Amino acid sequence: MSKHTRPINELVDELPASNMTTFSLKSLDFVIPGEWENLVGWDNTLRAVTMESDASLLQMVGDRAIALYSDKSQGYRNAMWLYQTIDSAGSALGTAALANKVGEKVPLLGFLSKLTPKADKAQAIDLSLKLVVEVVAFCQINGIPGDSIGDFVASLGDYGKEALMRMAALVCFDGLIPLGPDFLRSVGNTLGNLSPSELKQHQGFSQIDELIPGNNAEGKLNFIGQSFDSVKGWMSDFVQSHDLTPQKVSQSLQKFIDVSDDKLDYLAAFLDMSTNYYAHTGTQTLARRLIERALAEI
Amino acid sequence: MIILSLRRFFVACFLVSMLWVGGCSSPATTNSSPAPNANGAAVSSQAIAGSQFNKFFPTNGNGFERVYTQEKDGFAEAKLKKDGKDLAMLAISDTISTPAAAQKFQQSSKQVAGYPAVEVGSTQTAVLVANRFQVKVISRDPNFTAADREAWLQKFDLNGLARLK
Repeated sequence: MSKHTRPINELVDELPASNMTTFSLKSLDFVIPGEWENLVGWDNTLRAVTMESDASLLQMVGDRAIALYSDKSQGYRNAMWLYQTIDSAGSALGTAALANKVGEKVPLLGFLSKLTPKADKAQAIDLSLKLVVEVVAFCQINGIPGDSIGDFVASLGDYGKEALMRMAALVCFDGLIPLGPDFLRSVGNTLGNLSPSELKQHQGFSQIDELIPGNNAEGKLNFIGQSFDSVKGWMSDFVQSHDLTPQKVSQSLQKFIDVSDDKLDYLAAFLDMSTNYYAHTGTQTLARRLIERALAEI
Repeated sequence: MIILSLRRFFVACFLVSMLWVGGCSSPATTNSSPAPNANGAAVSSQAIAGSQFNKFFPTNGNGFERVYTQEKDGFAEAKLKKDGKDLAMLAISDTISTPAAAQKFQQSSKQVAGYPAVEVGSTQTAVLVANRFQVKVISRDPNFTAADREAWLQKFDLNGLARLK
């Protein structure tokens, strides 16, 4: 059974309380203090999101949330598939090699032979695809709330908790660390010079291309480019307003990864291969929205 | 400030998504198998589109902000905020998909705005309109009391909702 067809409660129960992904995300607490807590376990999530404690009520809410997720027509499973798929390429180091490293400082030098830093072009495409996934998944989960553009924009702007952390991690782990402080210009240049045939050869694109708007590779490339152009202003503001630099992010990561600042491309490759922050926080976002809907419907 | 800048971020995203006509409302292309059958569906095919509920919600004003959060088949929900803080969730749902949700009003002796009302758990107050549409106010802040919930239920256009078919 593929992962995205499994019940949402099982996926939430399996979210790790502590692994490379959670350590990495916690290292970004200095960027958005207190915004994200690693809420794991279906029962915990039910109680936290509903703010209720009655067991029979929680059972009803949980049953309804599970049923909503299972109904393919409701779009939730598409969103989960996107979150999981965009992350799946980078899990090669995920479990086996790091199983005994949680709780101790990871010596990055020990993994250098297993790590291949991505070319800037591939990294730029990765970042762009994750942005597209976020927009498409938002619509699959929430629809287009409200009756006006203003309503819809307000609903999108209400990002917080794990969703805001996902965006912060995108800027830091897929932008600043691998591509440096000038990452926005680097991505813009890459997309501007990319051909549709080059895009089709990118592994991440081939995995999710059916869900990217556009009739063909050229149309999809246009969509990706326009998405990035639209979002780069926000990313630039985010970096500036938090005074973020690759060094600040890596210094925070150095609480649990032993790495020097001249090895940031290897650090980026390590994060890519050992974490799945889109799938992790995406599962948390889906659980929250499903439970909120179920609570209101029962 | 983060929220404001994120709004700018998503203003742009919205404009992009408009290029993708229908993309947000259509099932994605990975749905290659048929739509769920009547027994497997969590949402009735007869459920009214959530977009039709929006106009019956309370409006912004007096420092309160209504932020729509979800709009799905048979369901619409908004956050009620003040000074950036979440106070409550406001929701309308079509009980054609959830008959038990409507049945709970049969034991109700309480009314709000002339409609049968129940309290659910410790955070929710709901009314049933036209024997079909459940309107709920759910406290998200301990200072938002049951009395507040009843007051906000009355700010919905419940009579307008009752005429929706």
